[in-house]
Amino acid sequence: MEMQMLHIFRNTPLGREMLLQSAYFCKQLEILPLIYIPDYVKFLMYFENDVVQVDLDASYLKAPDSAKAHASEIIQGMGLPQPRFFTPKHFTASTLPDLPVDFDFMCCPRSISDLSSKIGLGYIGPRVRRIVKSARFPVLIPSAVYKPWTSIAVLFGGSSNAVKALRLGIRLSRRCGLPLDVFSHPENRSQKDYENIIQEAGLKDDFDNYVRTWRISESRPFQENLYEIPHDALLVLGAYGHGLIKELLFGSTMEIVQTVTPNSMLIVGPNYRAVI
Amino acid sequence: MDDRLLLIAIGALVGVCSGLAAVALNTGLHFMAGALSGLRAHWWLFVLPGIGAMLSSLFLEKAIREGAGHGVPEVVYSVSRHGGLMRLRSAFSRLISSCLTIGSGGSAGPEAPVVMSGASIGSNVAQFFSLNERQRIALVGCGSAGALAAIFNAPIAGLVFTIEIIVGEWSARNIVPIAVASVAGAQVSRLLQGNQIAFTHLRFEVGITATLAAIGLAVVTALVSIALTRALRGSHHVSGKLPLPFWVRAFLGGCVVGAIGLVLPEVLGEGYHSIRQMVEGSFAPGLGLVFLLVAAKIAATSFTLGWGGSGGIFAPCLVIGSFSGLMYHRFLEMLWPGLSLVNEGCFALLGMAGLVSGILQAPLTGIFLIVEITGGYETILPLILVSALSTTICHAWEPASFYFRDLVEKGQYLRPRTDAKVLADLSIAELVETDCKTVPRSMRLGEFIRVIQQSHRNYFPVVDPETGQFEGMIHLDDIRPYLFDPLLYETVFLEQIMETDVETVDIHDELSVVLARMDAKGLFSMPVVSADRFIGMISKATLLDKYRNELMVQTLH
Repeated sequence: MEMQMLHIFRNTPLGREMLLQSAYFCKQLEILPLIYIPDYVKFLMYFENDVVQVDLDASYLKAPDSAKAHASEIIQGMGLPQPRFFTPKHFTASTLPDLPVDFDFMCCPRSISDLSSKIGLGYIGPRVRRIVKSARFPVLIPSAVYKPWTSIAVLFGGSSNAVKALRLGIRLSRRCGLPLDVFSHPENRSQKDYENIIQEAGLKDDFDNYVRTWRISESRPFQENLYEIPHDALLVLGAYGHGLIKELLFGSTMEIVQTVTPNSMLIVGPNYRAVI
Repeated sequence: MDDRLLLIAIGALVGVCSGLAAVALNTGLHFMAGALSGLRAHWWLFVLPGIGAMLSSLFLEKAIREGAGHGVPEVVYSVSRHGGLMRLRSAFSRLISSCLTIGSGGSAGPEAPVVMSGASIGSNVAQFFSLNERQRIALVGCGSAGALAAIFNAPIAGLVFTIEIIVGEWSARNIVPIAVASVAGAQVSRLLQGNQIAFTHLRFEVGITATLAAIGLAVVTALVSIALTRALRGSHHVSGKLPLPFWVRAFLGGCVVGAIGLVLPEVLGEGYHSIRQMVEGSFAPGLGLVFLLVAAKIAATSFTLGWGGSGGIFAPCLVIGSFSGLMYHRFLEMLWPGLSLVNEGCFALLGMAGLVSGILQAPLTGIFLIVEITGGYETILPLILVSALSTTICHAWEPASFYFRDLVEKGQYLRPRTDAKVLADLSIAELVETDCKTVPRSMRLGEFIRVIQQSHRNYFPVVDPETGQFEGMIHLDDIRPYLFDPLLYETVFLEQIMETDVETVDIHDELSVVLARMDAKGLFSMPVVSADRFIGMISKATLLDKYRNELMVQTLH
C-alpha cells in the first residue's frame, strides 16, 4: 500500500516553504502527500493512549480560496502527482474536527501550536512533542528554508528510541539510495557498548552495509559535535531518550539539536512502528 | 494485583476526584448566588445572565479553546469512537463555564458539566496508568457516576445514568467499578456538604386514582419533552445562522433569559428553589401562571443553551417537569373538583421523572433519580408508569434522545457489541486484499488468459504501468464471450472489454458506508483506490471473517 504523509497546509509564504520541504521528502521516499487545509483553528488527534488538541494560529485559515491551487502547484512542481486533500469526517464538537492518526509520516512546523513568530527560534511546540510521543509515525520537522538533502544522518545515543531512529535511517537510505552517516556522542558508553546495542538490535549487517561513516566524538561538548553533521543531510533522531528531570533542567536533545543545526529533522518517538 | 481489583481501586479514586469536582461546582454556584443575590432587585440587571453567558463562551473558546457543546454528547462520542479518550482541559473547563452561566442566572443545570468533568478525570487517570480501552471506558463511567452521585447525593442514579447513557452496556465488568465510584462520589459529597437530599421527603399516600391519573401525566410530560427538545434544537439552529460573533450571540441569549426573569424569576438559574416549593405543596401561582412558567422555562433554557451558554439539561428538565406535574394536577382538580387525588407535590415529582425520562429516553435514570433525591419509595408505582410511558411516547416522536440525536444523525452513536460498533472498529486498511494481479489496458486477450491461469481471482484491476493510475476493472464474466474464440486472442485488447465506470472505495471510507454501497449495488467486492492509485480489493468474504473476529474480541473482553 502507498505510504502517506500528512501535511497541514498554511497558505502563507512560510507555509508554502514548509510544503516544499514535505514535497521534497515525499519525492525522495516515493510517498504520497496528503494535505489538510484547516477550516478551523483547532483539531484533535486521537492516539492510542492520548488525545492531542492542536491549536493553530489564525494564519492557517488565510486565503482559503487559493490554498488548494497553491498546494497543488507546489506538489506538482516537485514532479509528484496531484495531491490528495484530506477532509475530516468526524467532529468531536461542531468546530473541532478529528484527524485520523494512521498516516506513515506527518510534517509539523517547528511550532504547530504557538505564534508563527516562534518558528525558527529553536522552539518545538508542546503539541508537536506530544504528537511525537504518542504517534506510531515519525514526525518531519523541516528546516526554516527549503534545502534539498543529499544524505541521511542519524544521531545514535544508544537508547531504545535511538535504535529505532537508526533502523529508520537505514531503511530511508535503502529506499532513496542516499548515503548514511551516524553520529554518536558517548556519555557513559564506549564504542564497544554501542556495537553491542547494534548487534542486539539485529542491525549489525545493515549497519555495515549502509553506513558510510560513523563518527564518535567524546572530547567536545554535545552541541559542538552537532556542527559535524552535514548541513544538507536529513537528520534522523529518537525523542524522549532523557529522563524527565534531566530534560527539565537541560532541555531535550530534540530542542538542542534543532537550535544548533539547520537541518530538517525526522523524529522517532517511543511508539514508532516501522513502515518502510 | 488482579485487573478487576485494580480497576475497582482506581475507580474509587476517580469517584473521589469527581465528587470533589462536583462539590467545587456546587460551592461555586452557592458563592455566585450569594454574591449576586443583592443585585437582583435592579431591573437593569437583566443583562447579568447575558454577561455570564458571554464570559462563559469566551472562556471556553478563547481561554480554554475547547469546542463548546452540552457535554454529555461529547462524552458519549468519546466512548463510542475513541475508547473514552478525553482531553485534560475538559476536567475543569465546563465547571468554570457553567458556574458563570448558571451563577449569573442562565437557565441550565450543573449536572452535565460535572459529568463531563468526572468523565475527563476518569479518562486522564486511565491514560496516566496506560490502561487499555475497555478499562478506560469503565473509568470514564466511574468519573461520570461519581460526579452525578455527588451533585445529587444519589449514588444509584449516578450508576444507572452512567450505564444507560454513557457506557450503554450492562456488564458486571463495568457495573462493579462504576458502583464503587458512585459510592465514593456520594460519600465525598456527604462528608463535605452533609447528607442532605435535594428535596424534602414527604409521605404521599398514592392510591389507584393517582396511579391511573399518572398515565395522563406521562402523555403531558412526553409532549413537553418533545417541545423542549425541538425548542433547544431550533434555538441552536437559529442562533447559528445569525451573522454575529459567538460571544455576542451568547450575550443576547442571556439577556433574553434575564428579561424573562424580570417577569418570572422562577426561570432563572437551576431553579431548585421552585421545585422545593412545589414538592412541599406551597407553590402559590395558579394554573394559568404555571402553564406560562412551563413555556417560559423552555424558552429560557433554549436561549441559554442554544445561544452559547454552558450547562446541562438535567436541572431544567426537573424544573419544567415539576411545573408540568403541578399544571396537570391543577387541571384535573379544575375539571373534577371532587376528585380525590394525592397532594400536588407528588405530581410535581412524577412530572420530573416523566420529563427526565422523556428527554433522555432513559426510564431507569428518571425513576431512581426521583426516588433518591426525594428520599422515598411511596411514589414508585406511578413513577415507573410515568417514566416508562413518557419514554415510549417520546421515542415514537423523536427516535433518538436529546443527547444522542446529533450523534445518531452523524452515525456516531455506537454501542458495544452492535453491528455499527463492530464495523466502526474495523478499517478498510485492515481488510484490503493486496494480492491482486494488475494488468495494463494495452494487454492482449491471449496474454490476459495466461495471467488468469496463474491467479485465483475473478477480478483484475487495470492500471497504467507508468503512472500507477487506476483505469478500470475486468471481471472474468467480461471475457467469457471471447474465451472460446482463439482468433480474438491476438486482436482484442483489454481496453476494449474493461469496465471503466467502476464503483471504488477510498482507504479512509467508513466500512458501514462501503457495506451499504455493496448491498445497494449487489456487489461482492470493490476496488480500493487512493489518489487515483489502485491499493487492493475489499470483499464481503474477508469482511465477514474480520467482523466475526472483532465481534469475538468485543464479546470476550
